[in-house]
Amino acid sequence: MSENKFETVSSCVDDFQHDDNAFDDIINDEHLSTTWDRYHLIGDVLRNDTPDVLQLDLSAEIAQAIAAEPTILAPKNNNVFALKLKAKVVAFAKPFGQLAIAASAAGLMVLGVQSNVAQNNETILPSQIVKTIPMAGTAEPVSLNFQEPDRASQKQAFIDQQRRFHALFSDHQQQVKLSSLAVNDTNTDDQNETHSIVDKKVNESNK
Amino acid sequence: MKLLSYVLLLLSISFSAVGEESEPAKAWLERLSNALNKLNFSTSFVVVKNNQAQPYHWFHGVDDTGTELEILSLLNGPRRDILRKGNTVSYIEPELPPYSVTSQQISGPIPAILAGDISQLENIYDFISVGRSRVLGRPAQLIRIEAKNAHRYAYWLWLDQQSSMLLKLSIVTKQGQQLEQIQFTHLEITDKPSESVLQLNDTELPVLVDIPQEYQQQELQWNVNWLPEGFTQINTNRHKISLTKQPVEFMLLSDGLVDISIYVNGSQEKQRNADFAMDGATLALNQVNEGIEVSVVGKIPSTTAKAIADSITIKPPKP
Repeated sequence: MSENKFETVSSCVDDFQHDDNAFDDIINDEHLSTTWDRYHLIGDVLRNDTPDVLQLDLSAEIAQAIAAEPTILAPKNNNVFALKLKAKVVAFAKPFGQLAIAASAAGLMVLGVQSNVAQNNETILPSQIVKTIPMAGTAEPVSLNFQEPDRASQKQAFIDQQRRFHALFSDHQQQVKLSSLAVNDTNTDDQNETHSIVDKKVNESNK
Repeated sequence: MKLLSYVLLLLSISFSAVGEESEPAKAWLERLSNALNKLNFSTSFVVVKNNQAQPYHWFHGVDDTGTELEILSLLNGPRRDILRKGNTVSYIEPELPPYSVTSQQISGPIPAILAGDISQLENIYDFISVGRSRVLGRPAQLIRIEAKNAHRYAYWLWLDQQSSMLLKLSIVTKQGQQLEQIQFTHLEITDKPSESVLQLNDTELPVLVDIPQEYQQQELQWNVNWLPEGFTQINTNRHKISLTKQPVEFMLLSDGLVDISIYVNGSQEKQRNADFAMDGATLALNQVNEGIEVSVVGKIPSTTAKAIADSITIKPPKP
């Protein structure tokens, strides 16, 4: 959940997000807005855009300045003709709009492929995070930071399990090969007993 | 009265039919065992599992003194040869230096019991003669070795009508799904043992390994409380799994046809759900319950393995 939000912040920072609700969420959530600040700062540092003097709470100053400005009162524009015109334009623009949606979907796919490639690199070489940022030209991998350790540990657990199974299969075969020794040495006299059909409690036979 | 006699007659016919049906199947298997021990043959077969084929050469012969000589070698990848001279079996494998054990059977892809006393299996398995088909260009008889309960797989054997030699073997689930298959690709039966087998007589086999008595049949700190009927304990010991160096308490069980290994050791994890892996028909289960790691390996269905693993209890510490 929170990772999703950080991703949204990241995409807003990168101008990939044009949904006003997302911005509202960020503005209303104090934690997210500090994250927003931090991402911009990271981006600036990476692009070498930092000014000589770092002003960390610039947004707070701007907010103060806006609050201090006088309010301008203006009449509300309530023109019926303008509304009608707008509706016609919308109907006319609809087919084009769909085309645009298709185009943007294609764009998204390209983006998706690119980010997949970036992800693959990451799982192989976790230390590459720093390098991929200037290569791709985006700050997107920042958001991947949050998932990265989890995925690596899952992968490690998977490899461990595979190794364990491999070892088990080979040891099982080994023990079966050596088992004839045990049978020859000890079980010769109770050979008949081995064929009896009972749900045997094994500790009993272990005298 | 007349009716009763008819019924009796019908009953006796059906009984004798059942008897005849099961008797030849066992006779077939006895002839197979005889063939595997007495014939001079050189064969090739392929083990098909996990979408892979492993080719083998298998030579068998009996020399003038009546000693059985046998060579089984894997033809792909690193050398894995099994040599047998009478009661000595030598394993040459990449993982270990060559060694020999005293045994009358080689432990390879073909179950050793097929060359042994098949009547050992009668209590747990049914032998069913199913029908004829053509395998390896020969008329073959299909014999099924079916478990009497649902905890095991079935073994289907195709035997040569003429020599009773094995031509094909499949390990099949109760639902009829094939898990592993051994298909013979070449079979040559000769009057005299072949040269390659006779060379074994001039070969010096690797030294016999001697496992000290106290190493075997050790008392373990846990009990298995459920096993499919027919399985008995063959060996118990403590050893380290060679690949992972993990020390384990180990128990080997067998019903004559199928071997099951159980491994128990302490784990750093507290709890881990059961995980399964399949190698052909061989299944491995691994789970951690209350800090105790249990693994079960063998040619058994996953439900059987799970039931065995879940039935393991730790013995209370001795006072």
